[in-house]
Amino acid sequence: MLMPIKLKGVMQAPVSPMKDDFSFDGEGFAKMVDFHVRHGAPAIAWPHHKAESLNLTIAERKLGAEIAVKTVAKRVPVSIFVGTLSEEDSLDLARHAQKAGADAILTISPYCRRPAQEEIFDSIVRIATAVELPVLTYNSPWRNGEGVEFTGDLTRRLIDRLPNYVGMKDASFHSQKYLEISRVALGMRPGFAIIMGVEHLLASYPLGACGSFSSSGAIAPNLCNKFFAALEAHDWETARECQFKISELWRLFKEQYPSSLKGAMIMMGRPVGPTRSPLPTATKERLEFLRKRLEELNILQTEPHGW
Amino acid sequence: MKPFEPGLVHAPVTPFRRDQSVDYATYAKIIEFHLRNGAEALALPMPEGEDMSLRDGELRGLLEFAVKQVKGRVPVLAHVSDAGTSIAVERAVHAEKTGAAAIISHPPYFWHPRPAMVVEHLVRIGTAVKLPFYVCTPPVESVGTELTSDMVMQLIERVPNLAGVVDASLDFVFMEEVISGGRKLRPGFQLLAGRDYLVSAAALGGTGAIVPLAGIAPKLVRQVYELCRQQKFMEARGMQEDIAHLHHLVREAGASGLKDGLAGIKRAMAMMGRECGVPRPPVSPLGEVERGRFEEAVQALAFLKTEPRGW
Repeated sequence: MLMPIKLKGVMQAPVSPMKDDFSFDGEGFAKMVDFHVRHGAPAIAWPHHKAESLNLTIAERKLGAEIAVKTVAKRVPVSIFVGTLSEEDSLDLARHAQKAGADAILTISPYCRRPAQEEIFDSIVRIATAVELPVLTYNSPWRNGEGVEFTGDLTRRLIDRLPNYVGMKDASFHSQKYLEISRVALGMRPGFAIIMGVEHLLASYPLGACGSFSSSGAIAPNLCNKFFAALEAHDWETARECQFKISELWRLFKEQYPSSLKGAMIMMGRPVGPTRSPLPTATKERLEFLRKRLEELNILQTEPHGW
Repeated sequence: MKPFEPGLVHAPVTPFRRDQSVDYATYAKIIEFHLRNGAEALALPMPEGEDMSLRDGELRGLLEFAVKQVKGRVPVLAHVSDAGTSIAVERAVHAEKTGAAAIISHPPYFWHPRPAMVVEHLVRIGTAVKLPFYVCTPPVESVGTELTSDMVMQLIERVPNLAGVVDASLDFVFMEEVISGGRKLRPGFQLLAGRDYLVSAAALGGTGAIVPLAGIAPKLVRQVYELCRQQKFMEARGMQEDIAHLHHLVREAGASGLKDGLAGIKRAMAMMGRECGVPRPPVSPLGEVERGRFEEAVQALAFLKTEPRGW
């Protein structure tokens, strides 16, 4: 029997702290997870790209999943991302997530192959039928038809096929693509969770999105929570204010994501170490620039410092 | 003086006769239909009005005809995009003389110049007229260069009469950046939703919409627009999904690699009792089998039952 899972609000996707020698800092990671839960995260999702997922070994990903489940200790749901370059790794991670006690998995068909719709369908079915957990998929269309895109039609077929298919992380950020998924999915499976990849929520919440996997929550959890509360209250004026501020944060961080974000975390008293190559680690100049911008945005003054 | 805000803008299709000439008798009927069914302004010829398939003289003739037909009842926004800067500039100047209320242009067709050149192209068009000027994102990917929010900020600095952006990108990030960044530089900077997706743009602070599907389902479009105007975004969801459904059927029909929806729109217009012919070549009308499939899907849309039939 599949356990129902409640996904709603600005859900936090912790970064992966690294030690100075670039090794995975398990203790730091536990602190990071606990920080998010204590600051109102309605769910924990790891390891997304923000967590350098593809630069972690499979063993590190399993270790992190175990730490996340243990640290959260059932306070909120934990979703484990199992997308990799190789489907065999994804299957392995999915089975491991279930054994470790995760509440859901988030998956995508291997990205770099530019799979056809039929190939994505088969891939998701293989992974989703390998576990008894609720399954989320990750819609990641890139420009010019690249990336892995879940069309409305593909979503419909997957819902038909998979009773444990409960939601979509949507990174299309596009009215037409979003509505193709939402009108089909919410029509077939009410309660299907459409979760925005970044906090582009003001455009999508009125159309049925239930929340987001956060990009800026490591820096500004208060702002994230205020934003979602405004959306739920239909206080569009406040929501707009928060959305525009979060958009500015996103502009700061999206460059060489997540290096700048990790850099900015130093400013908030939560040093999480360097970013693994080939991604750069934020330079001193970049850090100073980030500090100035965070101050101008009134983030430095209004958001929690330290752990 | 209150700044020009066009509100709910209908984008009429352009009808052709069998000999490919513009069918002005039908065009007059189309314009009257839009005015009777909720248009607060007209924009023409937008991509759904097959602007690219019209010759320069025809584009001017169409605008002159429309302005005369409308007789000041609503503002007419003239779309003047082209590949060459001087061609688009002259067309904008002509539109101003003809009595258009505003000018719309997107980045140049076909060429892929560097961002600075695209900005220059748009600056020349905008500064050639005194009318409110709207820059538009390219209607379909790959038809021209992308319009980025950074380019829009540069344009605000250089074009005093730049009133806003028409967004056909449907990109949440672009809309957020343009509205928040644009209003810092120019209070009241507008974003008009393009392509029938009103809710997200309005929630973010958009001020109006240009709607190509208004020729098929003017009531539905009007209702969503009204709800958005009252900030009732949650209530608008069901009807916005209906519009998206229609949009999806229209765009998926036809052989166009761009999914421009031209064949679908004109077929759906005919099904509503408003025969507008078929698109100009090289865009082909729907083949027999596809036409059957399309008509079946459109007939199954319950919400179309309350929409006006005929002219």
